[in-house]
Amino acid sequence: MLSVNSLTKRLPDGTVLLNAITFTVEKGEFVGILGPSGAGKSLTMRCMVGLTSVSAGSVVFTGEQGRTYTTTTIKGNELRRARRNIGVIFQGSNLVNRLTVLENVMIGRLGRIHPLRSWLYGFTDREAEEALAALDRVGLASFSGRQTGSLSGGEMQRVAIARAIYQRPLCYLADEPIASLDPKNSRAIMKLLQPLARDHPIVGSFHQPDMTAEFCTRVLGLRNGTIVYDGPPRLTRAQLAEIYSQDLSLEPEETLDAMSGPVLGHPVTSTGHWL
Amino acid sequence: MTRAVERSFAVRWRDFSLGRYRRHLRRLTLLAALVVLAAWRAEVNMHDLITGLGRGLSMVGLFLPPKWDAFPEMIEPAFVTVLIAATATPIGALCSILFGLAASRNIAPAWLRAATRTAIALERGIPEIVILLILVAAFGIGPFSGVVALVIGSIGMLGKLVGDAIEEIDPRTVESVACTGASRAQIIRYAMLPEVLPSLLANSMFRFEVNIRASVLLGAVGAGGIGYELSTAMSQVEYNKAATAALVSFALVMAAERASDHLRSKVLSRGQLA
Amino acid sequence: MNEAAVSVPRAELPSVRFRRRVVTALIASGSVIASLVYMKADPLALFRDFHYVANLLGEMLPPNIALLWHKPSLWTSLLETISMAFLATLGGAAIALVMALFGAANTTPHRGLRLLVRSLLAAERCTPNFAVLLVLLIAVGIGPFAAMLSLLIGSLGMFGKLFADAIEQVDPGPLDAIAASGASRLQIIRYGVLPQVAPSIVANVFYAFDVNLRAAVALGIFGGGGIGFELNVARSLLRYKDMLACLILVVIMITVMERVADFFRRQIFSREGVLN
Repeated sequence: MLSVNSLTKRLPDGTVLLNAITFTVEKGEFVGILGPSGAGKSLTMRCMVGLTSVSAGSVVFTGEQGRTYTTTTIKGNELRRARRNIGVIFQGSNLVNRLTVLENVMIGRLGRIHPLRSWLYGFTDREAEEALAALDRVGLASFSGRQTGSLSGGEMQRVAIARAIYQRPLCYLADEPIASLDPKNSRAIMKLLQPLARDHPIVGSFHQPDMTAEFCTRVLGLRNGTIVYDGPPRLTRAQLAEIYSQDLSLEPEETLDAMSGPVLGHPVTSTGHWL
Repeated sequence: MTRAVERSFAVRWRDFSLGRYRRHLRRLTLLAALVVLAAWRAEVNMHDLITGLGRGLSMVGLFLPPKWDAFPEMIEPAFVTVLIAATATPIGALCSILFGLAASRNIAPAWLRAATRTAIALERGIPEIVILLILVAAFGIGPFSGVVALVIGSIGMLGKLVGDAIEEIDPRTVESVACTGASRAQIIRYAMLPEVLPSLLANSMFRFEVNIRASVLLGAVGAGGIGYELSTAMSQVEYNKAATAALVSFALVMAAERASDHLRSKVLSRGQLA
Repeated sequence: MNEAAVSVPRAELPSVRFRRRVVTALIASGSVIASLVYMKADPLALFRDFHYVANLLGEMLPPNIALLWHKPSLWTSLLETISMAFLATLGGAAIALVMALFGAANTTPHRGLRLLVRSLLAAERCTPNFAVLLVLLIAVGIGPFAAMLSLLIGSLGMFGKLFADAIEQVDPGPLDAIAASGASRLQIIRYGVLPQVAPSIVANVFYAFDVNLRAAVALGIFGGGGIGFELNVARSLLRYKDMLACLILVVIMITVMERVADFFRRQIFSREGVLN
C-alpha cells in the first residue's frame, strides 16, 4: 500500500537528517513511529507528503487498482493529485479558524474539486451531507455550524480526523496527533484512530510509547534519522533505551513497567497485523 | 521630629537645581532652534494672529446666521458627496484584495511583491487631492474623478493592510489545506481569505469615514458635492450660504463617524463572515 | 457505521449560503452601479477616455527636474510645508495635552468641564479642515501661517481625543500611591499620569506629523503656501512638467521625513529617562 524506499535527506552542509529510511505499510496496519525530539519523525512525515524535498529515495502509494502515486519527485498538479490520496493530521490540527467546522471538513476533498467551481460556487449540498457523516463518526455532528476557532484542542483534532476521513484517502499520516493533548483527550483520539486503520493504514509519529504499545500494530523506532527498530508495538526496556538512550524524558520506570504487563483488548499477531 | 531632623528635611533653594535636565539641554535647544526656524519659515506672525483673531471673530458674525433656506439645495450635493465615498470604498476594498495578494510574500513572486509595495507606498504618499488634480487634468471635473481618486487612496491604505494580513497568516494552516491536494487558487480561497476578510471589512468601514472627509475636501477642488458648494459660496462671498454648507458637511462627517464606529464594533464582535 | 441521524441544518447548507451570498453581492454591486450611473461617473470612461490620460502623461513626462535649480524658491516652499506640519503637530500636541487633562475623567477638576472639552473636540474633528482654512485665510491672510493654524486646530481634535482616552486608561495604582504620599493634583499628573501616557503620546505625535505633512501639501493647494501651492500654480498654468517635478519632490519629502522621524523616534525610545 505504501512503501518508503531509502528516504534520505541531506542538508547543504552535509549533515544527514534522514538516513535511508525504508519500510512498507500494508492494509490494516497502524504504524507508530517513536523517537526522541529531533530524530526525524516529523521530517519523515513531511517528506512523505511532499512538504519537504528529499535528497534521495522515494515514497510510493499504491491504490486499489494498482495505480501508484509518488510524492517525492513531482510537483504541481501531479503532487496535488497524489496528495488527494493521503489524509494528513497535524499536531495542532491546523484548521482554518474562521470557517465553520463543516467547512473545514469539506476542505478535505478540495483535491477533487475544480478550482473554478470552488471560487464560483463553493461546495455542494451532497458534499455537506457526506461531511456531516464524517463528523458524526467522530462524534461532533452537532458542532457543524460552530466557528472552528471556538473549539477546544481535543475537539479540533477530532475535526481534523473527520476531514481526513471525509477525504477517503488511501492511507492516513498523523504527525504527532496527540502531542498537544491531555491524557484523556489523547486516549479518545487514539481510540478514534484505531478502527480507521482497519480500512486504510495509518502511519503516525508519537512520543508516548505507552500509547503506541496499546493502540498500534507495529512500531518503528527512529533515532538520529535512522530506523533502529521495526516490529511489535510492545517494546522491552532495552529496546526503548536503544531508541531513546539518554533522551528518555518520560518517567522511565513507570512506562517500562506498564508495558511489561499484558496489553488488553486487541489480539495481535506476531507480525503486527490486525486479525 | 527634632529640630535637626526637620532642618535636614526642609527643602532648600539650592536643592532646586536644573542639573538633572542638563543632559536634556542639548536636545531641548535643538528642539527650540527647530521651532524658531520653522516659525520663521512658516511666516508665523503673532501680531497678525492677534489682529487677525479680532478680524476673524468679527468675521464669524458675517457667517451667522446660516442661510437656512439654502438648506434644501444642499441636500443633493450632500448626497453626491456620500455617494462618492460610498462607491469608492467598496471598489477600493475589492481592488485592495488583488493588490494585497500581489503584495504578499507568500503568494507573489519577489518582483511582483516589490513592485506592488512600491505602488501602494506611492498611493499612500501622494495626498488624494494631488491625485485628484491629476485626474481632473485628464478626465475633467466631476464625481468620476473624485471616485477614482478615492479608490486609489483607499487602495493605498487597505492594500497594505491586506498584504500584511496575508503575510501574517499561520503557514501551518496553509500547509494543512495544501495537503488535501488543493490548488493554489483553492488555498487562497479557503485558507487565506477567511482570515483576511473580517479585518478588511472593519478597516473598510474606517476607510469609509476617512473617505467621507476626503470627499468633502475633494469636492472643493472639483469633484462636486457639498465641498464644491462650500467653496463656491465662499468665493462668491455668500458667507451665510457657506455656513449652511459647512454645517451640512459637519453633520455628514459626524453621521459617518457614528455609523462607521457602530458597524465596526458589530463586525468585530461577530468575528465570522457568512 | 450507521447512517447519519442528523441532516445538515438548513442554514449551513452550501447551496443556501451560496444563494445568500449571491443576493448580497448582487444588491451591493447593483447599488454601486446605480450610484455610478446617478453621478454620471462612467467607469468605462477609464478605458474609453484613456487617451486623455496618455496625453496628460505625455505632457507630464519627462518631469522638469531642472526646475529644482532654476527655481530655488521650490526648496523654500518645501521647507515651508515641513515647518507647517512640524509646528502644527508640536503646537497641537502641547495644547491638546492640556485640554486632554481637562477632558479626562480621572484628571478633570469638574465633570462639566470634561463634557465641554469632549464636545469641543468632537465638533472640531467633524469640521472640514479646509473650512477652517478658508476662515483663517480671511483672518490672517494667505500663506503658510493660515495653513499651519488650520492644521494645528485639526490636530487638536485628533490628539485631544487620543490623549484624553489614554489618560483615562492609565493604571490608577501608581496614582493612588503618589496621592497617598500627599502629592497635589498637579504632582500626581506630573509623576503618575504623564510617564504612563508618554510613550503613546510620542507615538501619536510622530504619526500625526506624517499625516500633517500630507495635509500641509493638500492645504497648500488652497492657498496655504508651501510646495502644494507651487504644485497648484504649475497646474493652473498648464505647466505639467513642472507639476510632476513638484510631485516628485513631494514624494521624496514624505519618504525622507518618514526616515527622519523614525530616527528621532528611535532616539527618544532608546535612551532611559528622556521621557522625564
